[in-house]
Amino acid sequence: MKRAIYYLKIWFLMNKNAFQTVLTHKLILFMFTFSKLLRFGFFLAFLFFLVKGTQTLAGYSSQQAIFFFMTFNVVDVVSQFLFREVYRFRPQIVSGEFDLVLVKPMSALFRALLGGADVVDLVTIPPLLVAVYLVGSYLNPTTPQIIFYMALILNGLIVAAAFHIAVISLAIITLEIDHTMMIYRDLMNLGRFPVDIYKQPLQGILTYLVPVGIMVTLPAKALMGLVSPQGVLISFALGAVALVMSLRFWKFALTKYTSASS
Amino acid sequence: MRKYLSVFRISFAQEFAYKINFILWRVRNVLQIFLVFYLWDTVFQDPERVVFGYDRAKILTYVFAILVVKALVLSARAVDVPGEISRGEVSNYLLKPIGYFKYWLTRDLSSKALNLSFAVFEFLLLYILLRPPIFVQTNPILIVAFIISILLALLIFFTLLFTTGLVPFWVPEGAWGLQFMVIFVATEFLAGGLFPLDILPESIQRVLFYTPFPYLIFFPIQVYLGKLSSPEILRGMVVALFWATFLYLLMRNLWQRGLRVYQSQGR
Repeated sequence: MKRAIYYLKIWFLMNKNAFQTVLTHKLILFMFTFSKLLRFGFFLAFLFFLVKGTQTLAGYSSQQAIFFFMTFNVVDVVSQFLFREVYRFRPQIVSGEFDLVLVKPMSALFRALLGGADVVDLVTIPPLLVAVYLVGSYLNPTTPQIIFYMALILNGLIVAAAFHIAVISLAIITLEIDHTMMIYRDLMNLGRFPVDIYKQPLQGILTYLVPVGIMVTLPAKALMGLVSPQGVLISFALGAVALVMSLRFWKFALTKYTSASS
Repeated sequence: MRKYLSVFRISFAQEFAYKINFILWRVRNVLQIFLVFYLWDTVFQDPERVVFGYDRAKILTYVFAILVVKALVLSARAVDVPGEISRGEVSNYLLKPIGYFKYWLTRDLSSKALNLSFAVFEFLLLYILLRPPIFVQTNPILIVAFIISILLALLIFFTLLFTTGLVPFWVPEGAWGLQFMVIFVATEFLAGGLFPLDILPESIQRVLFYTPFPYLIFFPIQVYLGKLSSPEILRGMVVALFWATFLYLLMRNLWQRGLRVYQSQGR
């Protein structure tokens, strides 16, 4: 408990600094926030008009299709908010500045993963959650369905964390991070729609390799009552396995860190 | 002319200096096509179905055309201009007997040539993998009109990208924010790179067609698919030409004003 409070304090301190840096460029902050909201609005409008014209999308109604998109956004935006520091990890490895993180009395992984939350994403989270609540309530979920939904969202964030840990571990070994992240983001973007619309082998990749289906589609399906309790348990097991494997990979990657250029 | 040919050649070779970068950029393009392809493939599972004025062949041709048109129109090196301005590197070009616009236009053309060659290869690969029904335009007049609309799209995108890239003359860190909004977000949705714009209500379409965005991707593909009448094609080309001219004049004006406040910071 004491350790958790210690890390919570560090998290607040690091992110207060990160926010202050961003807040010095208010115009840029405004442009990015506006652009992200614009993109969200554009896609929502596209989905609305698409399903209005086609009546259904792979058997889902317009409300359900929009709810899939909203759920995708919750996992995507929250993970971007929490793990933004990952995008700044490569320069630390290339320059050897990561040495300074390793000697500090805290977990280097905690610093590398959660050290710089994104204020732009923080601004967009509250309206997004309100939108999820409003659209979700139209689907008339039961209490267990809501509990499964929230638990599976959490599981989705754990899988996202595992993937980000794997990416920074890979960056220590290969010095490459940007494109791995971008490909992850592109694969995540396929979760804007239920993964049922994709065919093999893409559906297999989205289920097992980058499990977008488990991260995004499954929670939304759980709220609609389309997932069995066994399906929920298997997803949690996959989330736990992904996290354990990524942590092992991180430990292995640290043994390959050369401290080059420092 | 010879110096620009050299710029073209060097720029082309430079792209190969970062092979992984380039290949992964192309992989990303293919992934984006998967999203759009499977979405429309699901909607048009019934081969007889006609939605938004498209049948299965025309909508999947639209998806495949996005790959080629995006490679031609949206691939550009001028995205580096803001960085050069904020780092003071523009000074290097001001001292050389070379036109800054022409230099970047040449680099853009070199990038487009390389991206197009890859896009054609990807087109064939995806065609073999996905086996979509493809609509082949045989009317020579429409093919010529398609080529002209692509050339206009190239000019609009170059001037739009360059104009938004001039912001660092006044706000050194501002370009990325503006380019994210105009080039990435607006272009992704309003140009028709994700979905054909005619799924939107008529009133929204009418407003959109007064902006430069539909002329980047949607309009050229509509011309190719033969979905527009001759007066509509002509009117579209006039509006596209207006935007290309307007943005060119705006770009020149901002460039000249920018040079007056340019302090070569960082040099």
